[in-house]
Parts: sequence; C-alpha cells; structure tokens
Amino acid sequence: MYLYNEIDQTLLNERVAQFRDQTKRFLSGDLTEDQFRPLRLMNGLYIQTHAPMLRVNIPYGLLSSKQLRMFAHIADKYDKNYGHFTTRQNIQYNWPKLEQVPDILADLATVQMHAIQSSGNCIRNITCDPLAGVCADEIEDPRPYCEIIRQWATLHPEFSYLPRKFKFAVSGSPKDRAATQVHDIGLNMKKDAQGNIGFEVLVGGGLGRTPVIGQVIASFISEKDILSYSEAILRTYNLFGRRDNKYKARIKILVRETGLEKFKAQVETEWQTIKGGSLKLTAEAIQRVKTHFSPLHYQAAPRDNDHAKHLANDSSFKAWVKQNTVEHKHSAYKVVFVSLKSPTRPPGDMTDRQMHDLADLSDDYSFGQLRTTHDQNLALTDVLESDLYALWQGLKRAGLATPNIGTITDMICCPGLDFCSLANASSIDIAHEITNRFADKAVDTGDISLKMSGCMNGCGHHSIGEIGVLGVDKKGEQWYQLTLGGSDSHYSKLGERLGKAIAKDSVVDAIDDIVDVYKENRTRGERFSHTLQRIGLQPFKDKVYDAH
Amino acid sequence: MTLIKHKKLSRDDWQYLKEGGELRASNNIVNLDYWRGNNAVLVSEHSPCGILIHGDENPESFVADLDKLSLIAIDMPSFADGRAYSLAKVLRDTYGFTKEIRAMGDILPDQALYLTRVGFDALEFANETSATLAIEKLSDFSVFYQPQLSSQA
Repeated sequence: MYLYNEIDQTLLNERVAQFRDQTKRFLSGDLTEDQFRPLRLMNGLYIQTHAPMLRVNIPYGLLSSKQLRMFAHIADKYDKNYGHFTTRQNIQYNWPKLEQVPDILADLATVQMHAIQSSGNCIRNITCDPLAGVCADEIEDPRPYCEIIRQWATLHPEFSYLPRKFKFAVSGSPKDRAATQVHDIGLNMKKDAQGNIGFEVLVGGGLGRTPVIGQVIASFISEKDILSYSEAILRTYNLFGRRDNKYKARIKILVRETGLEKFKAQVETEWQTIKGGSLKLTAEAIQRVKTHFSPLHYQAAPRDNDHAKHLANDSSFKAWVKQNTVEHKHSAYKVVFVSLKSPTRPPGDMTDRQMHDLADLSDDYSFGQLRTTHDQNLALTDVLESDLYALWQGLKRAGLATPNIGTITDMICCPGLDFCSLANASSIDIAHEITNRFADKAVDTGDISLKMSGCMNGCGHHSIGEIGVLGVDKKGEQWYQLTLGGSDSHYSKLGERLGKAIAKDSVVDAIDDIVDVYKENRTRGERFSHTLQRIGLQPFKDKVYDAH
Repeated sequence: MTLIKHKKLSRDDWQYLKEGGELRASNNIVNLDYWRGNNAVLVSEHSPCGILIHGDENPESFVADLDKLSLIAIDMPSFADGRAYSLAKVLRDTYGFTKEIRAMGDILPDQALYLTRVGFDALEFANETSATLAIEKLSDFSVFYQPQLSSQA
C-alpha cells in the first residue's frame, strides 16, 4: 500500500473542508445549481434518479482491509447497507443524502480515501492492472507510477475545467488487464534496449457513444518525462478540444479531427518547451514514491500440504480453485478473485456485512489488502496455496465464492434504468435473468465476456464484450442491441452488430441461442471469439433472428 | 467590478476602452483589433497599455507584442470553460510574460485559487461580496502536488 505522508493527509482534510463549505453555500442558496454542479461533480457527486450518487475512488484499485471496513461503515450509516463496485476501480453509493456527503467524505479521509475528481470534466481516478506486483509477466510494477500520476493530477489547477472527462489507465505487463486501449491516455510500461523504464503512450481511446481504440502517440517516453509528456497532451487537449458539443468533446474526437500526426506534432512542440522543467522526475523522486509502498513479506513455502488432499476430496473447492484463482509470481501463492456476480445480488454490488467478512478474510489470508478489477470483482492477490481451503470456506459463508470468474455470468453491467438518469433501458433485471439461466451451465459453457450497458454512454463496456448488450429506447419501450466479438484483452476490438434490436423479453433467449451456436461449433478448448472468427456472424444471426 | 490583487481588494488603475470611447492618457485596456490598428500610438503616447483577449485566443496572434504590453486581460466566456487556464500558464512559462494577467468575465470565487496557481495575478469579480469570498477561498489549500509556476518560484 502507498502510505500517506502529512502532505497527502493535509490536502485531503482541506478538500473535505472546502466541499463542506460549498455544500453549505448551495443549501443556503448562495450557489446556484449551475454553479454547484461542476463543484460537486469534481467531488464525485451526481444527482441521480432517486437520490444523489456518490462515487469514491479506489486509486489504481488498491484497498486495505481497514478501508474496506470504512466502505462498510458508510454503507451502513449513510446508505442502504451496500455499495456498487464499478469498472473503473471506484465504489458508488446510490442513496446518500446531500447534506450528509461532507460527513461521508470526512469519514473517508480518516482512512485516506476520497472522491476527488471521481467525476466532472477533469482527470479521473488513475486505473491499473489489478494483478500489478503479483503477476509473473510483469515488466515493472506500475503502482508507484500510478501514484505519481495521481498526485500530479490531483487538484491540477490548469486541468480542472477540461472540455470533458479524462481517464488514464496504466499497465505494467505485456498482457493488458487495465484496458489501456480504451482510455484517453493508456500507458503501457516497457524497457528500452538499455533497460531504462518508460512507457508506450496511447491516446484517444474510449468507449461511450463513439467507441475508439487508442492509437500510439509515442512508442517510448522515459519514466522521468512521463508527467511533462502527459501535461503536454492535456494542455493541447485543453486548448484545442471542442467545447461546442459535449458529445464531441473527448480527446478521441480531437485526435480524429486533427489527425494523429498533426496532434502528435502539437504535443511534441509543447513538450519540448516544458520537458526540462519542474515536472521532470528525478530518480530520487521516483524512488521516494516507491519507498512509500510498504513491501509484503512473502513466505518461501506453504505451511502444510493438505491442498492436494482438499482438491481431491472436495469437487466444489476444486471447481472454485480452477475458475477463481490464478498463478502468482511466487509459486507458494495464488491470486484469488472474489466474484461479485452472485445470483442474489446485482453485478458489482456488495453488502456491508460482506465487506466486513471479506476485510477479515483479507487480514487472515492476504496481508490485509485487496484489489478491485475492471470486471467489477475484487481480488485477494497474495494467498498461500495452503490457505486456499480455509479462505474458500470463509468466502462461501460470506456468499462470495461463486465459481464463475470469466464465465458468462461474470458479466459487466451498469446500474441502468434502476438508478441512472441517463439510461434508456434496465440492465440489472436482465443480468439477473442471465444469471438464473446460466447458473448451472456457466462453467461448462466456458469463458465468455458478456458486457451490458443501459444506454449508449457505455458504462457497461458493451462495445468490447464478446457478447455486448446495449439498451436502447424505442418509442418508450426497452429494446436491446446485441454485438458480438468485442475484446478488452490485449488487442482491444469493438464488437460487430448482430442485427436489429431485440425486445426485452427475448434478450436472454437470444443470448442462450448465441451460446448454443458457439457450443455446437467450437473445437475443443476454443474461445468464443475464436469460434466467431472462424465461422463468422451469419450462423449466430440465423439462429437468433429465425427464432425470434 | 471589484478587483483582487495579491490576496487583497485593490484599486483598479485600468480602464477598458469602450466601443467609440475616449482613450485615457494611459492604462487603457483595448481589444485585439484596436491594438493591431493603433499599437504604435498607444505605446508612444498612452503607455502603459493593456489588451483584452478571449479565453480561446491563440497566443501566436499577439505574442510578438508582449514586451509592449503591461497587462493582458482574459475574458472567460463561461466559468466551465478552462482554456484560459492553459493560456495564462503558457504566457507565463513559455513566453515569460511577467506583467499583469487579469481574469474577467464569468469566474467563481471557488476558482480564484486555481486561477492564481496558473498565473493570473488579478481577478475581477462582479461585486465586493464575491471578491471577499474569493480572497477567503484563496486559502482553501496549504499544500499542492503541482510545482509552482516557474515565474512564481
């Protein structure tokens, strides 16, 4: 974990006091709704269908058990006993009272958590590979760099009134688990021929109404220049990004309309003027942040060898291990994914009781630390293999051991019409139906990424799902547009439209048909996207539209 | 209008030249077109002088004249439009402009601190209440992650 110093804590406390004053002035009528809106948004506060929604950052997805207990406390004291984990390493509360939000933020600040820039037209939470620091294929641990970027971006005076929101994602592995290609800036860590650390910089990716895969603007920017180069991109965007139409205001549109080469030249010109200035990072400055991350003390080997015995004796345990755990860079350890996609709750939701239980389990078995993933699950990343059985039993008691990671029931889903004022269609009830339909056959069906958004803003990432579901409004009725073949792993790809939109009561049948076509045609061990690539869209079309 | 400079309410020695208005002996703020047509006279007979530009103005269009200017006022079309923040920053850090940069137009007291952090050293508010609140808001934060402007360091 990054350990806060006095400056970090002071800044957080002062931000809480500032927002308390802004809220007070709004409630007393000194600030108009129009004036308060950007101020509250920059602190993660939306006005939603039923109540305000507060989005809290989990910077680069790293969370301590103490912080998770605070999330539970807030869910219990100020909300309806649950929180919703998002695709961008945030947690959202759907029922806070506006006048209590300053108190919530004050409580969060006691555990170094905040909602700074979790919304608004500014630099949002920096997201990262949930397996940073524990995956075997890592080039470099990206988390200290995420923290360096987080600090630079926090309350940035020049970039707080951008044309539109701005998102960074950072990956330290050749295999992208941070969706860097669909962010405004995606940073992939790499080393040059001399072993110097740096970043491949992607720009202009994003989902939403106009999904775009990010393009490489620089193939190698040294670690010491990463802030000045980012500042050059942001300044170019702030000066030239469109402000006449909010649907054309993201940097992806600027890059498209300017052309990558010209945009790159503008950034380069700006960068040359600031490159040698105060944003240049010294080796000491980078090291200082790295030493603020407390190291974990791994054991050399498991304490006992009952693991094989448990696997042999307990098929449910074995199924969970197969589906929900992956290798760790230390062979004695495993990474455990905690599924938030159970049949009993909407995707990504977690009760305060579960948060307490999981916080305890992380203290007992995973150094008291957790991660959030961009699939709306959590992970305990440092579990001794010999502890897996005890952990699994604990997770089962907490209702957190659904063995479905990567399967069709492990879907990404936005809050949809149930909560969001932008949505055209509901997603939670469809998700629930899919879970019920596939509960028993999900594992057998194999790994399929299903992603669902309740409107074209695309918070559920439908355009990069192998099966994408997009809610649309047709004359007041809820319809769903299906896409197939999207991908968010390493080479991001946008899905292709299957055909015309499908009525709400037929959506789950259509998904079932799609899965059937896959199962009938797949070769042994073949992933959905490969089968689709081999046989094409037509067989899926035929089955779905002939049937409905 | 109430002006803030150096965290204090301040007397305004400058005057905007209205369309068809009379030039004063000195301290006129003129728009860019007027400046282009009359800058020789302004510099020789009405010094010091300043210009008023829009928040989306490209600095290339006037930077050649920076050493003749004692003030640049930037008009904010909307408090949510952040272009002028980058413009001020570039004028300070890239072009080394050290004289007054003034924010006017639609600005909120809550923005005073960020405006001063990017290089504005004079802020115009609609009335004394807003200006007084803005002075309070200048002290919202005692710590920052971003480096100071090179001109302020």
